[in-house]
Amino acid sequence: MKAGAIDKGTCLLIKGDPFLVVEREFVNPGKGSAFVRLKVKNLINGQVLKPVMKSQDTVEEVNVSDRPCQYLYADDESIHFMDTDSFEQFTVPVEDFDDKRLLMKDGETYTVIMWEDKPIDIKIPYKVVYTVTEAQDAVKGDTVTGATKTVTVETGLTVKVPIFIKQGEKILVNTETLEYVERVND
Amino acid sequence: MGAMTFETARQRADVIMEIRRFFSGLGYLEVDTPLLSPHLIPESSIEVFASTLLRPDGYRKDLYLVPSPEVWMKPLIAQGYGSIFQICKCFRNGEQQGRQHNSEFTMLEWYTVDSGSEENIGLTEELFRRLIPLGLPEYAYPPFRRLSVDQACEEYAGIVPTDYPEAEDLAEAARGLSLSPAAEETWESVFNRIFVQFVEGALPQDKPLVLYDYPARIPTLAAGRGDGRHSDRWELYAGGFECANCFAEETDYRRVESYFRQEAKAKAASPVPHAVNPRWTEMYRREHPRLSGVAMGVDRLIALTLGKTSIDGVIFFPLCDILDE
Repeated sequence: MKAGAIDKGTCLLIKGDPFLVVEREFVNPGKGSAFVRLKVKNLINGQVLKPVMKSQDTVEEVNVSDRPCQYLYADDESIHFMDTDSFEQFTVPVEDFDDKRLLMKDGETYTVIMWEDKPIDIKIPYKVVYTVTEAQDAVKGDTVTGATKTVTVETGLTVKVPIFIKQGEKILVNTETLEYVERVND
Repeated sequence: MGAMTFETARQRADVIMEIRRFFSGLGYLEVDTPLLSPHLIPESSIEVFASTLLRPDGYRKDLYLVPSPEVWMKPLIAQGYGSIFQICKCFRNGEQQGRQHNSEFTMLEWYTVDSGSEENIGLTEELFRRLIPLGLPEYAYPPFRRLSVDQACEEYAGIVPTDYPEAEDLAEAARGLSLSPAAEETWESVFNRIFVQFVEGALPQDKPLVLYDYPARIPTLAAGRGDGRHSDRWELYAGGFECANCFAEETDYRRVESYFRQEAKAKAASPVPHAVNPRWTEMYRREHPRLSGVAMGVDRLIALTLGKTSIDGVIFFPLCDILDE
């Protein structure tokens, strides 16, 4: 494939080792053609590299498979999933997906990316609706337009929101930036 | 992307108003030139947006959204308008939407007559000074640090690319830095590989940085330094953004025409080719003032005044939200 087609979650073979792309950014240096700046993680030893490629460079992709799984729960050590095809239950270490844990809702189905029977990534939709479970009421007199407060949603994730958001309301959150997008009405 | 808050919208309006006050106060004339143009200045590093004009009589004409107002501002200079500025929308295709880019963005472009690129560093510092009361963070305060591209490359990549005049020699040096340039890669492309991999991300960010004297091998409309190796142009980096670029504008008609021929050829092979008006360069055959121009990304400037490292939340309805990427 061409480097320009690389996306987050793509797996690449770099110098014989499989790497997962965890960040991808296109950059155009002043008066220069397009480059893609990557952050990749070695799937065997966890080594992180930051290669830069030209969009037209050719790269080799590693074969991975999608496994639809239901998120059951997480404890201090593991995230527990159930394969929705085989009903087989399996766990992945929390530290491998600490950034994803607070984005997943109990009982929801997510796509887990597998490389040689090893879960290497969990796909989270770009925007997700969460329910606010903890929010303090706006303080009377705090009328500064655009003021924000921090609320907690059902997964434990904390999000900065406008002060008018109340406990029990649903909000749309950008799962990449972890920022509030809008209030969702039922 | 995050939603625009009312405070940010207010800041946006305040920064834009302050820019207008600044340049008007200095006697620059504000202009508003067309955003749709039947021809553009060829720049092989920029992709554009194409559209079509239709008339009721069936006449059709391809029109292009300007990637910068330069194509119309420079003829005004040639007509004797003196120093001018413009704040307008510009359009660049083929870029990733998000943290640093929105294909439709707001540009501040100004041209200072009887001036070189050095004077425009001072003017840009002055503009930043004016933005301090609007919340500019200390790491963006003037005076700016200055570093030549050669010095930066030597410091962060360990080589000075302009010491390798031939593309193949530079490619060999790049391989020595464990990069993998393709066979027959252009000098400019190998230089950019080195620059993006080692230099750009390592530039000091504690103060704004003017990176000056780019290699002459990168084709632009900037004047040469006279040493055959460097162009008289600079880029301003501040708060992690490439905020502005400045040229001492080339006014020698032979060199402008040669640039046009070369870049028009390269541009014809791009995904969105556009028309080029070969007569555009004729103004340089007449007497032309010494000139230096600066293009500055206003959305990035506003983000900078807010202490942000992304244009996220400083533009209304950014494309990646509209398109729900």
